[in-house]
Amino acid sequence: MSNLLKDFNQGIIKENPVLRLMIGLCPTLAVSNNAINALGMSVAVAFVLICSNLVVAMIRKITPDEVRIPIFIIVISTFVTISDYIMHAYYPDLYAALGVFVPLIVVNCIILGRAEAFAYRNPVMSSVMDGVGMSLGFALALVSIGVIREILGAGSVFGFQLYNSAVAATIMILPPGAFITIGILMAGLNKLENKVL
Amino acid sequence: MGKIIRLGTILMVFCVVSAAGLAYVYMFTQPQIEANAKLAYEKSVKEVLPKEGKAVAVSPRGYSSTINLLVGIDAQGKVIGIKVLDQKETPGLGASIVKPDFLKQFIGKSARDPIEVKNDVDAITGATISSRAVCKGVREALEKK
Repeated sequence: MSNLLKDFNQGIIKENPVLRLMIGLCPTLAVSNNAINALGMSVAVAFVLICSNLVVAMIRKITPDEVRIPIFIIVISTFVTISDYIMHAYYPDLYAALGVFVPLIVVNCIILGRAEAFAYRNPVMSSVMDGVGMSLGFALALVSIGVIREILGAGSVFGFQLYNSAVAATIMILPPGAFITIGILMAGLNKLENKVL
Repeated sequence: MGKIIRLGTILMVFCVVSAAGLAYVYMFTQPQIEANAKLAYEKSVKEVLPKEGKAVAVSPRGYSSTINLLVGIDAQGKVIGIKVLDQKETPGLGASIVKPDFLKQFIGKSARDPIEVKNDVDAITGATISSRAVCKGVREALEKK
């Protein structure tokens, strides 16, 4: 049980995919311009990551080594397409905001990375816990960045206006704001690690 | 040779299972997706056309995207409603063309008005090109009608 807890814990801070492993940065930069987009993206990635970790761990015994990567891709793209259809059908506003980044979850390195590095070598329960932990870590990073950028760049948080957007620093919701925020968060986490972790 | 066939067969089995799963999800999401699109369009038409008239869709080229506009024009040839259906202009700058404060300037315009930035339309600060594109779209809609 303690092992499962460790698999779960690992991804949240210690091996946070975005801020520690630095993978999956492309969607992180692109859709973290406000908190709602960040949350929507996190949910979609969590769904795909947990399902693909589960399936990859289930089929790892019958997967031949030579074709494991194409098989992972098939599994991942199937779940991505499912989440794409479901979001398009039931959450059209979110779908419109995330746009091309939903299908692009296929090439999110976190998902293939976890399939290859973890789910392919570990039993089903551990892999699911790893997926949940990594998803939470991704969500934590993405939503933090989204909240910071939205507050500084648009004067609102989750669409709720805090102050007049005319005095907000627009650069924060433009691409440079993403780099600035990620850099500062990474630095902060590194500092924290030297002290407490 | 035997190995290639074995690996190929395994891959094919995975593809077939995946395709079947996707076909199933597609079957029950597709009607909903189409209904959403229809609903969204009807809602927009209602918004730009509170009374009798004609809704004209135009797609001028903006700064970083094609702006899809729906313009409601009444029987006298005046703009009575305008809505941005879709745009991917710069967030915080050009994307402000969707704001009512900007769009309400076009209400009441007709083909006789110049509808030009710096003339009878105030552009959004930092988004002259996006603002101009909307003006162009409205002029186009009035001509088309």
